[in-house]
Amino acid sequence: MTWYRQFDWITFGSWALLTVIGLTAIYSATLGPVSQFLPESIQQNFSKQLVFVALAFCGLVLIQFTAPRTFEQVSYLAYAFFLLLTLSTIFIGVEVNGAKSWLDIGGFRLQTSELMKVATLMAVANYLTSRRDISAVRIGTAVTATLLILVPAVIILLQNDTGTALVFLPLIPVMLFLSGLPRGVSLLMISPAIVGYMSLISWVLGLLAAIILAFLIYMIQKQPWLSVAALVFNVLVVVGVNVALTEVLQPHQVNRIEAFINPQVDPRGAGWNVIQATTAIGSGGFFGKGFLQGTQTQLRFLPEQWTDFIFCVIGEEWGLLGTSVVIITLLVLLMRLMSNAISIKNPFSQLMFVGAATIFFTHVLINLGSTMGLMPIIGIPLPFISYGGSAFLANTLLLGICLNAYYYQRELVVFGKAR
Amino acid sequence: MSSSYQQTQHLKTSIRILQSVIATIMLILLGRAFQLQVIDYDEYAPVSQSNSIRQEQITAARGTIVDRNGVVIVENTPVYSLYVTPNVFKDSHADLLAELMNVPVEEVRARLAKARAYSWHRPSRLFDEVEFDDFSKVEENIWRLPGLSHQIESKRVYPTDVNGSHVLGYLSEVTEKEYKSDSGYSLGDKAGRSGIERSYEQNLRGVNGVEYRVVNAYGQNIGPYENGDEDLEPVKGHTLFTSIDARVQALAEELMKGKTGSLVAMDPRNGEIIALVSAPDFDIDRLSGKMDLPYWRELNSGGLGRPLFNRAVTTRQPPGSTFKPLMGLIGLRLGVITAETRVFCSGGYFLGRLYRCTERHGSQNLEEAIQNSCNTYYYSLMHKIVQQHGLQMWHDMAKQFGLGRLSYVDLPSEDTGILPDSLYFDRAFGVRKWGIGDMISLGIGQGAMGFSPLQMAVVTSAIANGGNWVQPHVVRTIRDQDGVETMVKARVTKIDWVRDADLEVVKQGMRLAVLNGGGRIYVNMPEIEVAGKTGTAQNPHGFDHGWYIGFAPLNEPTIAVAVIIENGGFGSISAAPIASLLIEQYLSGEVKRENVKNAVLNFVPRKAEVRR
Repeated sequence: MTWYRQFDWITFGSWALLTVIGLTAIYSATLGPVSQFLPESIQQNFSKQLVFVALAFCGLVLIQFTAPRTFEQVSYLAYAFFLLLTLSTIFIGVEVNGAKSWLDIGGFRLQTSELMKVATLMAVANYLTSRRDISAVRIGTAVTATLLILVPAVIILLQNDTGTALVFLPLIPVMLFLSGLPRGVSLLMISPAIVGYMSLISWVLGLLAAIILAFLIYMIQKQPWLSVAALVFNVLVVVGVNVALTEVLQPHQVNRIEAFINPQVDPRGAGWNVIQATTAIGSGGFFGKGFLQGTQTQLRFLPEQWTDFIFCVIGEEWGLLGTSVVIITLLVLLMRLMSNAISIKNPFSQLMFVGAATIFFTHVLINLGSTMGLMPIIGIPLPFISYGGSAFLANTLLLGICLNAYYYQRELVVFGKAR
Repeated sequence: MSSSYQQTQHLKTSIRILQSVIATIMLILLGRAFQLQVIDYDEYAPVSQSNSIRQEQITAARGTIVDRNGVVIVENTPVYSLYVTPNVFKDSHADLLAELMNVPVEEVRARLAKARAYSWHRPSRLFDEVEFDDFSKVEENIWRLPGLSHQIESKRVYPTDVNGSHVLGYLSEVTEKEYKSDSGYSLGDKAGRSGIERSYEQNLRGVNGVEYRVVNAYGQNIGPYENGDEDLEPVKGHTLFTSIDARVQALAEELMKGKTGSLVAMDPRNGEIIALVSAPDFDIDRLSGKMDLPYWRELNSGGLGRPLFNRAVTTRQPPGSTFKPLMGLIGLRLGVITAETRVFCSGGYFLGRLYRCTERHGSQNLEEAIQNSCNTYYYSLMHKIVQQHGLQMWHDMAKQFGLGRLSYVDLPSEDTGILPDSLYFDRAFGVRKWGIGDMISLGIGQGAMGFSPLQMAVVTSAIANGGNWVQPHVVRTIRDQDGVETMVKARVTKIDWVRDADLEVVKQGMRLAVLNGGGRIYVNMPEIEVAGKTGTAQNPHGFDHGWYIGFAPLNEPTIAVAVIIENGGFGSISAAPIASLLIEQYLSGEVKRENVKNAVLNFVPRKAEVRR
């Protein structure tokens, strides 16, 4: 069989399309007709991103020539190495936008937490599949896997980069779910997120969600004690969210959450980002205002429009056409990765595929949810589209590993682990 | 094997579940994009439009005001104000701003705190009337100071020595009611409040322009919108060409300094006002820019003698002996007297009681009675007029000279004055509570009558110009933005009962009064033939009020003046020299009689024992 028949063109094509869309949007956001009002360093973002795209592409190609077993083998080493590197940023890191998550390496700034995501996924996948049993039914295995994910997340939280730390969390239920954790328990693990989100909007909704989830868990697991535990736990979440909003959280944090519920309360303060973001996307209409023609973008009504709010640039200048192309391409990529996880008969690769999809999806959900006013704004880049060299590099490498596994799937099965 | 198979199946199902969850959420996100961009498009599109397009008002330049010789006496100068939007302005930039503005950083912080107290989100004024040098320094660095913006406003300036507080008038910001009821005004506009600034407000104010600018989120100006095609150019206000003589006006203001009173100088041929002063006045400069509140309160406190009150057109004072020339004209026309009719003055006129004269003048004809200001003659004259023709006849004839009615001068708050008839006496004193004594006092300009200097200047003009009532006015021509000039039509009405021969007698009497009477010391000049009449009006509240009316040159008069100095004592030493100096300045272009000027400047009122 010729090599190009074995290559996953759908995944690669999605990557390429998203990358081009991203570069176009970054160009518009930083080199538009009135970009002279932007700081010089930001005007260089487009060329910097180009360098990283080239670099990441080289990495992607190189990975295809690597033996498929390599990633499994180096996973613990990579985990340890990047954990130390991430830990070191707390002491010797460079602070950007309040988060101390960058390492200065000869002029290049590396966001170690992005690479940490890849290493963590590799390590967890390796850990869960290296057991004789691909199973997290044993409580000890589940706890170790959870710790493997939580430790880097906590370190990144200490860097003051809440958004990136948040990306690690969904890996826990998903990984354990795939490894045989009962579904009801998995649902129980993600239920606080759902109940918490509903409670932000109104405590009645939160309570309703808690009851429905408890019922669902009973339907799946048929274990009354689990449902009762879920109900009690989620009611505590509802109460906790309300207490946090009124008592615990800092005023600026409460402002941000209130701005999500009703942006018009403080339109020039906390509500500014939500209002300007939704206005940018909404005013794009069906066809958009045209390349370099978006007033919200060009006149800088959006903060960080080359990174966290890049979707607004696309929405304003390319309209629904642009946004639907982005969302559908992302959907194709995610679906493809998960379908591959089914077709490839190698447990490590399966977990890598689903883990990669989970990480990308978490980014997409939080980013699009924030910019389209569906959740409180959390700063997090849109994979392959937002400006940010480290993130682009890390995401592309992760995708490269998946492409590699797809390419060498027969080999992996032949020399598969003993079951 | 079966366990392995089960495991694979379990994994497969788990992934399918995950896939469907992810697909559902992605479709929800797509739906949200559709909602924002298609369903709610009409809501968001105008928001983004108004976000980036700022409508800025360009205040129209107010019309300039020019004197009769083409000298600009009122024009505009730009003033710069800095505004801050507190939530955009970074505290750490206070140092830079303080450095650029050359003020201590504490002051900047204090002003910032004040702005914050007003509003975090709305721009408020940080610095007022900033010097141009400081302003341009800030403007060069404005991109480093997000949240800072500026506004150029316009302020009235007065380039000559003329203060003109009552003839030109001051401005103040329009009230909420005004800018809501008149679409031509917007908040922060200024409107004329007195003088011709108020009378010609519609001409002077112009039409405000609108400019659409594209701005970014920091308020930085990116450029014009639609190449400025939507902009509206402001239309400059009309230029007013006035009949004010800046040098005469400035001299008049200098002479009136420290006194209470007012004066009007006008061209008797057409009613053009050459100078108009009311004292005490106010510093018009301090009321032309931003509101100087302490000063404004001081002006209204009463401690300064009501400087906002325009005495020249609003006051009502008995004219005293300056009324006598008109009395002579009325007597001659009614045939009650002729030029030769003589009345013997033995120190007073007896009618039930003695109505005192200033001295024993002996036998007086009309000319002599004007020259010597003999009260006995005019008591007798008024007695005859009332007896033979009635008070109403006297009233009607005097009214044609502009007394007791409005002239509709182009200045606000004009008063009719008081020219009594029987109806007035009935109302003021009660029916049958008044008698002949009240009426014959009118003959010497005392009692129940009161006129403004403007009215007396009109009477003087009518005597000087051969019996024509002229409508007084300040503005001669209005030139609009296209250069089209419109003459202000002032009325001139021939007073039909006045005869030239009678006028000659009265004018001769007024000439003699200057040569030999009350005006001989301060008014008489060798080069200029002045005719005039002094007056000293009794004042129950204090020193008498000194009056003077006069015109020159005698044969072809080009200036008529009326002056009142309240509590000035004798008109001959308080009011008369001021009038004569104005005439000298106007006709010869300079003041040579420094001694007279010094006497006026150092004038201290004295009690008048007798009234002339």
